[in-house]
Amino acid sequence: MSMALPPVIETRGLVKRYGDQIAVAGVDLVVGPAEIFGLVGPNGAGKTTMMKVLATLLAPTAGEARVCGISVMEDPIEVRRRIGYMPDFYGVYDDLRVWEYLDFFARCYGVSAERRAGMTGDLLEIVGLADKRGAYVESLSRGMRQRLCLAHTLVHDPALLILDEPASGLDPRARVEMREILRELRGMGKTILVSSHILPELAEMCTSVGIIDRGQLLRAGSIRDIEVSLRAGAVLQVDLLGDETTIAGAETWLSNAPHVGDVLHGDVAAGLATRLEIPFDGDANDQAELLRSLIAAGYRVTGFHQATSDLEEIFLKVTGQDEEEGAA
Amino acid sequence: MTAAARPMASPRRSAAREFGSAVRTIMVKELRGRFRGRRAFVVLTIYLGLLALLAYGTYVLIAPTARQASQFGGAPNASASIGIGIFTVLSFFQLLLVCFIAPAFTTGAISLEREKQTLDLLISTPLRPGAIVVGKLLAALAYIGLMILAAIPISAIVFMYGGATVDDLIRQQVVLLVTALGLGAIGLFFSALIKRTQAATVLTYCAVLVLTVGTVLIWIFFSILAQRDAVGVTRRAPEQILWVNPALAMIDVVAGTEAGNVGGLNGLLGQITGADITNAGGGVTCNGNVCFQTDDKGNVIGPGSALPGAAVDLSSRPVGGVVVACPADMPPNQCAANGGQPIAAVAQPQSAVGHFWPRYSISLAAIAVLATLFSMRLVVPAGMRFVFRRPRRQTAPPPAPGSVAKEPPASPAAPDVPADIATAEDST
Repeated sequence: MSMALPPVIETRGLVKRYGDQIAVAGVDLVVGPAEIFGLVGPNGAGKTTMMKVLATLLAPTAGEARVCGISVMEDPIEVRRRIGYMPDFYGVYDDLRVWEYLDFFARCYGVSAERRAGMTGDLLEIVGLADKRGAYVESLSRGMRQRLCLAHTLVHDPALLILDEPASGLDPRARVEMREILRELRGMGKTILVSSHILPELAEMCTSVGIIDRGQLLRAGSIRDIEVSLRAGAVLQVDLLGDETTIAGAETWLSNAPHVGDVLHGDVAAGLATRLEIPFDGDANDQAELLRSLIAAGYRVTGFHQATSDLEEIFLKVTGQDEEEGAA
Repeated sequence: MTAAARPMASPRRSAAREFGSAVRTIMVKELRGRFRGRRAFVVLTIYLGLLALLAYGTYVLIAPTARQASQFGGAPNASASIGIGIFTVLSFFQLLLVCFIAPAFTTGAISLEREKQTLDLLISTPLRPGAIVVGKLLAALAYIGLMILAAIPISAIVFMYGGATVDDLIRQQVVLLVTALGLGAIGLFFSALIKRTQAATVLTYCAVLVLTVGTVLIWIFFSILAQRDAVGVTRRAPEQILWVNPALAMIDVVAGTEAGNVGGLNGLLGQITGADITNAGGGVTCNGNVCFQTDDKGNVIGPGSALPGAAVDLSSRPVGGVVVACPADMPPNQCAANGGQPIAAVAQPQSAVGHFWPRYSISLAAIAVLATLFSMRLVVPAGMRFVFRRPRRQTAPPPAPGSVAKEPPASPAAPDVPADIATAEDST
């Protein structure tokens, strides 16, 4: 008998149709334990639909979806015991106090009275609402409600958290807080499926991402893997001081250097420097050599680094490719 | 061993317990919200104050006329008619309020959760849809029930004057509570069926209107039709339509207080059920010790719904009826013929009281059960409905490696499984 645990999320050929409109068109997705998996896609790509299927709120038209090895169609109740779900749009019960709200959901999940007593405090501590325990839910700010909703997904200590756009509508500070909380939860061994269209957000907190568009999973894997698969080489950003002629000279010099493609004139970097972006297919040694000879050639370099492409870029590339393929 | 054996010992009982605690969970949450602040208590106080005022107002109105009228009849009659008056007014006023309040408490139960987008959070918990619906209904009924029961002491003022008995009060309470249950469940059903609370509320009150006024109109329509259709025989409109009418049930309850079962309300009930208090064309037929009310054809029509030959309690024998001794084996109509009792000669008041309120209570309870069952189905997310119809198997290990190891193969349902597999293998 194999002792290997089933993946936390596993979908095979998952299809969801609304009438003649296809929301999810055959998605195969596997997410292992303690991963933070980011689902990225434009609005209407099928992220929410996928999450609702996994949360047993929608029946798939075809295909299979399993959470911890349990089919969402065969035993939705058991699946629900293992997931915490936070929808993209939701309301809260205004007429309850914060602790009553959590206590209510803990009861819904059948958490015993002894455990409920201490748990509400612990959860509020995690999401930073400990001082709001006796406040009415009504009086909470949007960010606080978001965190309260996150806390409610944790009352039954689920293996999987399904968070649909948890950072939407939050100010930058609240977003950072949300991200920190998610990291902390991952540290607790939770698997998290999170969706967003704020792509750089996901890049910072996810261990892997899946890019979804028009119901299809275009790419899935770690951000690095996707990056590697998408670009032949990295892009180097070189910041140089000097007037226009110097910069033009540097451009010519760089285009003749080994491993370098067509030099792009980038934006003005910090201060007086001009940024050049150069596609580069060499390794680290070649990079160091390029920098050495650039300085030796007498150019005044203020910055030399590899551009870290964010998810936004990857995302645009992938969805762009898809469109081209579709047109071809 | 024991830990593994315990949950399997009584899966049904533990499922019931789980359901019970789930219902309690919803009720606690609902009632926490409901009794928050002063509103609930203020509403209750105003309600009771209004009832008390109404009782006093009725007394002030009735007392002088009752005393005048009793100058010849004596004080006890005056007192009784005051009591009956107060009981009547309180009963109908409470019924009116329950008809308005009960649906109001439930028409938002599900649709408000949808509107405020809290329903997805709620139904993504392992709570059974049935528990959610029943919890919501009971929470609403708990408050209405409190209002109804809290008014008992005011209704009990009647006992100082007489005229109405404890039985009358109990019947009144049953009708009020069952009305709250039925109308509350109807409100819940529309709340689950329709997304918008406003539309759900409008439809619910339409349904209440149909029950209270619509049934009467339909019945009148039918009775006119029936009279026209009749060829020689006077037929009556089906009174079953009126079994769901709260007003008629309360009329029935109040009519029970009319002295000697004679009075305006009795006459009304008699006309509907056909137990005419003038009894024109009908009579009493007795079979052995048992007496029946008959129509002009000799068909047994009462008391109650007794079938020909079925035993009827002698205590319910109409007051003043003539008992004719017939052989036990003689059919009632033959007895009527042989007994030589001229039908006109036994004309006497018959009571139709006690006919409607039990039927009403049963009908509304049935409506409540149906409405609740339908609501359950509507709360389950669309597309998942058929999943919840299936009985949940305790041991349903999915064909995944890890989870198979957890479940021991021996289970109460196990004997069926190998049999199915065996037959499947045989056939292939």
